[in-house]
Amino acid sequence: MIGLLSFFRNKRVLMLMVAFIVFIAIIGFSLSDRKELTWPEKVLRDTTGYVQMWFYKPAGWIAGFFEDIGDLRRVYEENEQLRMTAAAYARDKVTYNFIKNENERLQKELHFTEQQKQMNNYSYLIAQVVSVSNDANNRAMIINLGSKNGVKKNMAVVNIDGLIGIVNSVTPFTASVTPITELNETSPNSNSIAATIEGRENESFGILSTYNKETGRLSMTRIPENDKLEIGDTVITSGSGNIYPRGLRVGTIESKQVGEFALTYTATVKPSASFDHLTEVFVVSVPEIDDSEPGDVEE
Amino acid sequence: MSTNRIIFLMLLLFVLEGSLVPWLIPEGFGGRIIPHFVFVFVMYSALYANRHQALLLGAGFGLLQDVVYYGHLIGAHFFLMGLCGYFAGILMEKKRATIMMALTIIGFACLLYDTGLFFIYKVFRITEASYAWALTNHILPSLFLQLAFALALYVPLRRMFESRSLIAEGDEE
Repeated sequence: MIGLLSFFRNKRVLMLMVAFIVFIAIIGFSLSDRKELTWPEKVLRDTTGYVQMWFYKPAGWIAGFFEDIGDLRRVYEENEQLRMTAAAYARDKVTYNFIKNENERLQKELHFTEQQKQMNNYSYLIAQVVSVSNDANNRAMIINLGSKNGVKKNMAVVNIDGLIGIVNSVTPFTASVTPITELNETSPNSNSIAATIEGRENESFGILSTYNKETGRLSMTRIPENDKLEIGDTVITSGSGNIYPRGLRVGTIESKQVGEFALTYTATVKPSASFDHLTEVFVVSVPEIDDSEPGDVEE
Repeated sequence: MSTNRIIFLMLLLFVLEGSLVPWLIPEGFGGRIIPHFVFVFVMYSALYANRHQALLLGAGFGLLQDVVYYGHLIGAHFFLMGLCGYFAGILMEKKRATIMMALTIIGFACLLYDTGLFFIYKVFRITEASYAWALTNHILPSLFLQLAFALALYVPLRRMFESRSLIAEGDEE
């Protein structure tokens, strides 16, 4: 060892070895399922997040202004469409109110617990994206809400187009969002999404497990054989995984194939949200569940 | 220029890289053209200052990047940025790099850096894509962005880092 150290070249090799071991150790530590960040991490991230807020938002406004000018021509058509949607909404609203009252009455009669009643009563926290990671394999986004605003790990993040991702870690004033383009079945820290089809929530089921980066599509696996799933259907979260709340739009079905062992089907899903130039996103806040029941464990 | 000013400039660049640069990249290319401007700074430091400064700057800013954008693992940028800076520093220890040489080395270092990152994520099974795809999808497109950035700031950056280095400046090209 002394002989090794005395020679300059070998000292360099030794240092490289030590650095490599430290590197593996840090990675191993960070890959494990961490519940909370350490305080230096929190301080660093909050400070950077605070500074980056000054830049990202104005940049978005300026970019948005130019896009708006380009969009002026399409506004008329969009207005027409929106008017139609609004009419349909007014009709549906009446039915919805009836069904809601009916549902509440039935829940009361069946003695639902408070937790069961509140389970799907989500609130949406409006957040601004502050910055985007410059790493092709880790497109984490930082948003300007943190644990002080009630954001917690594993909350879903959506924008008006659909599901964006999941909160990966929180600091007091910022949170980091892992987009669904990082979904990967084999990855040690990725959650699969339990999904269903809009309009047939009780009949269809599948698991969105992996995002194929090469094609830009999510793959929905474990679809039962007798599922009447069709191309063009809208995929939403089913909420049965208890990580992602139910009813968040994910994308549309593009194709359907026979799955791995020919027992189930696999479908490719085109995500409905675009992951570039995000400004405003919503964090879906699930109501506090104080009495944790054994059924709350994720799938 | 003092080290403090360099660090301040790099911090500013780090902040802008995450918040402003994504808006300058056309929509749809966000995952393909990826800025590594801080890394270019580290390379200039390796070329025109010395390898120890490059190592420290690379490791420091790599760690900052890892912690701020913590998604899957911490340490990849920390390790690779420091290593690339250090080795480029060793390579260019006794020589003064001309502009072509500097750009070539920065280009190769960017390739090495992105390749290293890709394989770290591949080894830990965070990504499943093939290297050939990664190369055409983001590594090569971002390489051009990095080279353009390096070329645009060649003169001021060289002056900035060279004024700190101890080697006599008599043998400029």
